[in-house]
Amino acid sequence: MRELTYLEAVREAMSLEMRKNDDVFLMGEDIGVYGGAFGVTRGMIEEFGPERIRNTPISEAGIAGAAVGSALTGMRPIMELQFSDFITIALDQIVNQAAKLRYMYGGKGKVPMVVRTPSGSGTGAAAQHSQSLEAWVAHIPGLKVVQPSTAYDVKGLLKAAMDDDNPVIFYEHKLLYKTSSEVPEEEYSIPLGKADIKREGTDVTIVASAIMVHKALEAAAELEKEGISVEIVDPRTLVPLDTETIIQSVTKTGRLVVVHEAVKRGGFGGEIASMIAESEAFDYLDAPIKRLGGISAPIPYNPELEKAAVPQVPDIINAVKETLNK
Amino acid sequence: MLKEVFMPKLSSTMEVGTLLEWFKAEGDTVDVGEPIFEIMTDKINIEVESYEEGILLKKYYEVDDEIPVNAVVAYIGDKNDVAPETPTAIEAEDETAATADAPEAEIAENAINEESLDTNEKVRATPAARRVARENNTTFNGVQGSGPKGRIHEQDILDAINNKSNKLVTPLAAKIAADQGIDIAEVHGTGSRGKVVKQDILNNQQPQTEVTEEVERIKLKGLRKAVADKMLQNAQSIPHVTLTTDVDMTRAIELRKALLPVIESQTSYRVSYTEIIMKATASTLKQHPRVNASLIGNEIIINKSINLGLAVAVEDGLIVPSVANVDKLGLADLTTVSKELGAKARHNKLTPDEMKGSTFTISNLGMYAIDGFTPIINAPETAILGVGRIVEKAVVVDGSVVVRPIMVLSLSFDHRAIDGAPAAAFLTELKECLENPWALLV
Repeated sequence: MRELTYLEAVREAMSLEMRKNDDVFLMGEDIGVYGGAFGVTRGMIEEFGPERIRNTPISEAGIAGAAVGSALTGMRPIMELQFSDFITIALDQIVNQAAKLRYMYGGKGKVPMVVRTPSGSGTGAAAQHSQSLEAWVAHIPGLKVVQPSTAYDVKGLLKAAMDDDNPVIFYEHKLLYKTSSEVPEEEYSIPLGKADIKREGTDVTIVASAIMVHKALEAAAELEKEGISVEIVDPRTLVPLDTETIIQSVTKTGRLVVVHEAVKRGGFGGEIASMIAESEAFDYLDAPIKRLGGISAPIPYNPELEKAAVPQVPDIINAVKETLNK
Repeated sequence: MLKEVFMPKLSSTMEVGTLLEWFKAEGDTVDVGEPIFEIMTDKINIEVESYEEGILLKKYYEVDDEIPVNAVVAYIGDKNDVAPETPTAIEAEDETAATADAPEAEIAENAINEESLDTNEKVRATPAARRVARENNTTFNGVQGSGPKGRIHEQDILDAINNKSNKLVTPLAAKIAADQGIDIAEVHGTGSRGKVVKQDILNNQQPQTEVTEEVERIKLKGLRKAVADKMLQNAQSIPHVTLTTDVDMTRAIELRKALLPVIESQTSYRVSYTEIIMKATASTLKQHPRVNASLIGNEIIINKSINLGLAVAVEDGLIVPSVANVDKLGLADLTTVSKELGAKARHNKLTPDEMKGSTFTISNLGMYAIDGFTPIINAPETAILGVGRIVEKAVVVDGSVVVRPIMVLSLSFDHRAIDGAPAAAFLTELKECLENPWALLV
């Protein structure tokens, strides 16, 4: 099968859908001829024209408001937030409108929109362009939250997000854009709320999301040399969360390490750890649950400090060993 | 929290223990199962082990002190705890009295301590380890945790269940086992809660004979266990001396023949030699009160009543009903009482009252082809009479060999309480009494 980058997979998912569904269109800053800040939409304006690939003013609130309005009136908009940090400006539309309206209209209205946005650190973009704020939106009932980690997953999950009649916040990790994997040419959908076991193991479960899936896989390969068998669960979507797969895995291994790039304090790892503590997997826990997350400080500009601010492979290796008393 | 170390009550007769040696100084850390001090009781010397772990904070007694049972000998606690200058007074012989005297809070505290010994409270263990313990209906007692700060993980409890390596074991036994390369798991512990003690390890060293054929195994329990414990204790703790003598039973047989119809018509019981011997023994004991004594603690108690214990064989066991005041009973009444008690014993209907209070015991094996034997004293009594069969033997009387019915009497006595000469004098007089039983009428 051909290989595709994560970035190309995002573009392909949108293009395939737009070719057959006229209701789907894109809005965002510099997504036209320029192709967006990371080049995801490059070439799309040539195929679909400026009506469907719409450049907007630099106003995230405005883009989000237009997306909510067009979705309510029957379109299926995809809005691109240039950096996920800027969701702060769009949040009133997303939290108080998009997330609420289907409920408040008793199901008579719906908001089928996708908010695509690059997140995470590692590009030297400093404190205002490097955050991982997925826990903010995961907290809001009415929003679905997706964090794909591979090119294959991103294509299938974006299809499911575009098909969904509810607002979906779709996080694309900046460092993952250039990663590639085998991706089928035809359209396919990965259901939201279905975790993926990225590696099977018996000694400890790592629940990792987005970029951390890859760091966990690296750590697992190292740990395997020492005879430690790691199972890696990628939830893929935080809302809805596939609790069953995580519970089953922890029940099997008896040990859990949760890793995400977002700041540990108040991060989604706390939700996963609590969910396990409340679940039937509790009686199988043979070590305290460990969480790894970003430090409680803005992401530094200095590249070395930037790396130190979020979990790295050695941190994951150490956490696993600590969990195993090794 | 402060935890008391008590003087243990190791036997029903123990009232004080003498402190022989301290193994720990104030400020030393003490582990569960570690000996703290050694005491001497009226029966044995024994090391007293700690039920708690912590620091030995305070010692209240010195070597050679006699310490009453249940008195606080020392305190164990954290380094932050402060032990009182004088120990809390808990002066009571038995537990019911002790709890009655103690303030309620203390009772509650003791109860909690007791409990924490046997439950999983306050143990550092993972949920998985707790689940496994629960599923296997076991506790974390003695399980070594492999995690940080001794946290018990699932594997630890699984190992403990599978290897039984969680056996309680005294430090001395553990050392001997390690030196000899003996696997503790294979050793059967005889101490409290199955604790492996030194003797268990030593016993285990004996080469075990290969048993190829099927054997029947009977567990020591119930009456068998009670008999075993008592016999072991009495045999090991009492310096026994056994004296034997031949008794010419010619006149005793005549006496019985004469009394048989009389007593049978009165009581419907047939008087046996046992009753005649009991009567003679009671009469002789009256002249020799030192043989009718009990040894309890540091005291020899000369009993006023003459209550004879009668060893009765029952199914897989031995029980000793007590016939009270034998010296005051006529043979007819004595026959009735002893026959009834014997029947009750065989039907397991004796009340506890009917089994206690004996001051001297008679064990009769005369129905078998047994002459003399060495009976074991029924503590706290200080002597026991073994009765053999009556058999015709050639004896020399007045220079000629004649045939006489002869019976051997075996008297075991406690040499701590009685010396050889007075015991011999007693047995001699008993022999004369049986050879001239008419004297019993006097």
